[in-house]
Amino acid sequence: MSEETWTPSKKKSLLDPRTKLLLIFVEAVLVLATTGGERLFWFRIVFAVLPFLLLLSAKRYKICIIGLAVLCTIFLLEYTVFPYAHGLSASMLVLVITIINRFLPAYLTGVYVIRTTKVSEFKAAMEKLHMPDVLTIPMCVMFRFFPTIREENEAIRAAMKMRGIRFGGGKVGKMLEYRIVPMITCAAKIGEELSAAALTRGLGKYKKRTNICHIGFGWADIVIFLLVAATVLYWILGVFA
Amino acid sequence: MSKKESGNKLNGRDLINIGIYTAIYFVIAMALAMTGLIPIFLILLSSMIGIVGGIPFMLFLTKVKKPGMILIMSTIMGILMFVTGMTWMPIPFSVVTGLIAELVYRGGNYKSMRSAILTAGIFPLWSCGNYLPLFLQREQYFADRTSYGQEYVDSVMNLTPVWMFFVLLAATFVCGIIGGLLGKALLKKHFERAGIA
Repeated sequence: MSEETWTPSKKKSLLDPRTKLLLIFVEAVLVLATTGGERLFWFRIVFAVLPFLLLLSAKRYKICIIGLAVLCTIFLLEYTVFPYAHGLSASMLVLVITIINRFLPAYLTGVYVIRTTKVSEFKAAMEKLHMPDVLTIPMCVMFRFFPTIREENEAIRAAMKMRGIRFGGGKVGKMLEYRIVPMITCAAKIGEELSAAALTRGLGKYKKRTNICHIGFGWADIVIFLLVAATVLYWILGVFA
Repeated sequence: MSKKESGNKLNGRDLINIGIYTAIYFVIAMALAMTGLIPIFLILLSSMIGIVGGIPFMLFLTKVKKPGMILIMSTIMGILMFVTGMTWMPIPFSVVTGLIAELVYRGGNYKSMRSAILTAGIFPLWSCGNYLPLFLQREQYFADRTSYGQEYVDSVMNLTPVWMFFVLLAATFVCGIIGGLLGKALLKKHFERAGIA
């Protein structure tokens, strides 16, 4: 594998898919589940800023601006409105602020990873990690499928709105049936086509597949690895200190 | 399928089916989880997943013909729960519940409707794995969540004495069966007619 293979696109993303997985992992443990408590506060800030930088590097300016806007609104709420709130409204506010502060970085990381990783790259990375096919193929399909579900859901929502089936439309009970059933039907149909397409790509065989994607670690990956290593080290030192 | 199914080994089509139905299931679960911010809904979450998730799950079961598919779906749900910040505990838990669900459906030779409904009752138990940190690491769980506001913590605390976990398991099982029956009815009403069941 020493010679340069043909890569399908010139625009290689900054990070290796494996690094992206590690990032998701770290965001889940550190930011979402807030492991390590107060001691890791500054690391958490770093990992909260990171997705913004990554989105910028991938030229996803729109989502980056939306994220920043949400964050600014939250900070404004926290420092201007919150000191004057009392009782129930205060606790609701705290809830919203905390949830968004906690979920936003992880969500943005997720968006970055899904938008910049091709399914083939993901598969190649998983193969290098020696994950079994029975887990990776369904996961590949899932990643491919989420945007589709979203699209279909939008279309179904629009169609059902016309019939008055929406929240506050007086037919909430029917929502379950009339929103979920069409979605599943669509998904099942699309899924059939997807399996046909995947079979032509050799996913149906037990033989080892070849992969055209050329993945490897670069300087950015090393930076992330060092950052994660530093976090873990600092955390462990804190546990034993 | 015109070709003869080759033994009991999972092929690409099966794996893709798992992926598709897991994706639908996960989206539904996440949509429901958004309501978990209101304390009482946090407790009802697993039951709601049982009922609503029963619909896609019953359709999924009609595609399951080989051992392993339910287990894989359950494992993936566990991994996704880890990624969405529920600690590592849901992973082993969902593997165990997935295995039980698998064995039950296997008992019905992967086609009996009765064991399908029973499976639909057992499968959503994976979502109870999300509650494990709440019961096993009680102190830490609430220490992490003090920032949600004392009122939130208090109301969750009052709603969850330790025996509650078993009540939740039972409630989820019952709701899963209701979801299974619901799914069966919808299967008859919609999916069979559309030719996808």
